[in-house]
Amino acid sequence: MTVLILTSEEDVTADMVVLRLGEAGVPVVRLDPADLTNGVALSGEYVQGACRGHLSVGGRLVSMNGLRSIWVRRPGTPAARAVQPSTWLTEESAQALYGMLRWSDARWMNHPDAARRARHKPWQLHLAQRSGLPVPATLITTFPQAARRFAERFPDLVVKPVSGAHPQEPPRAVPTSRVAPDADFSAVAFGPTLLQRRVAKRADIRLTVVGGTLLAARKPADPDAHPDDVDVRFAPSVSPWQPVDVPPRVAEGVLRYMADAELAYGAFDFAEDADGIWWFLECNQSGQFGFVEMDTGQPIAAAIADWLAGRPGPDDGRANGDRSAAS
Amino acid sequence: MQPFTLNYARPAVQLDVTSPYAYDSGLQLNVLPDGRIAATDHVTLRALGTTTSTAGSKTHFDD
Repeated sequence: MTVLILTSEEDVTADMVVLRLGEAGVPVVRLDPADLTNGVALSGEYVQGACRGHLSVGGRLVSMNGLRSIWVRRPGTPAARAVQPSTWLTEESAQALYGMLRWSDARWMNHPDAARRARHKPWQLHLAQRSGLPVPATLITTFPQAARRFAERFPDLVVKPVSGAHPQEPPRAVPTSRVAPDADFSAVAFGPTLLQRRVAKRADIRLTVVGGTLLAARKPADPDAHPDDVDVRFAPSVSPWQPVDVPPRVAEGVLRYMADAELAYGAFDFAEDADGIWWFLECNQSGQFGFVEMDTGQPIAAAIADWLAGRPGPDDGRANGDRSAAS
Repeated sequence: MQPFTLNYARPAVQLDVTSPYAYDSGLQLNVLPDGRIAATDHVTLRALGTTTSTAGSKTHFDD
């Protein structure tokens, strides 16, 4: 039985998992849907009440029925590198590939339906609340007056994109940013705006969940950092990520979140405040993990490989190796 | 008429970095010019930031 990995060739983070699977002797087929019809081929037939399908790439041929798991890591747009790409061909290729994969018995990390839903950050905030995770007071609105009133109630706010996406015309980045005390909220009317109470954090937390395995890392905030340096992705790094135990209540909430979201993999971001409370910020269903593994030595790639191979991980059901932490 | 959120946008950093590794379809892995597996060379990966959470990805929201 084969593990199918859908990702781009340059995805070196996926390589970390391919290596582990190779060491374990687990067959792997890796392909990028962008190469469909130009290096990647597929076929499926529905005859006499049965479905059979095959995928081919680089001289490898795998049966849809021979897949044990599918890792949707960083796949390209289907047929984007076809000889004559088009929107129509992309849709045809997406329907053919993902439509056939959906009837395989393989388990997914993560299933496309669950992944699509999990990308909605407003939904994430609600699910986090329902899962018992602390969520900073948040407002998403196009009403300027609602924004003004929210700012009166919570004077120290940050703003960030609702979708997490960044504008491309022209290419710009929109980091999580502190809202000026005298901000004019009139422009809230021109686009949904996500305002959130700023957590005065003493550390950022990245909690990677693989099946039932929880691996948390902590990066202390720079005590001399300016309060406007909110977004860890843009702030200067003063400390590496370090392993940290997961508080039992957080572990319970996160596992509840994963179950309700029907996710096998998730990368949670929290802000830790001065009282040690982990405030939920978001859960990236395909979040990067290589940088955490390299800093902390935590076996995230191995945990993913174990899950894809269908083996319970050595830490499955545990948080950072502490069995009591998640119980 | 610009949405409020875009008041906080900044120009995206265009990383002009050429990866020193290339994909080997036989191995299904990226390899360095000297034949080593790129994923085992943490020094190179750190220098390139290729495994890092990166805001502003064109194709993926999830970092």
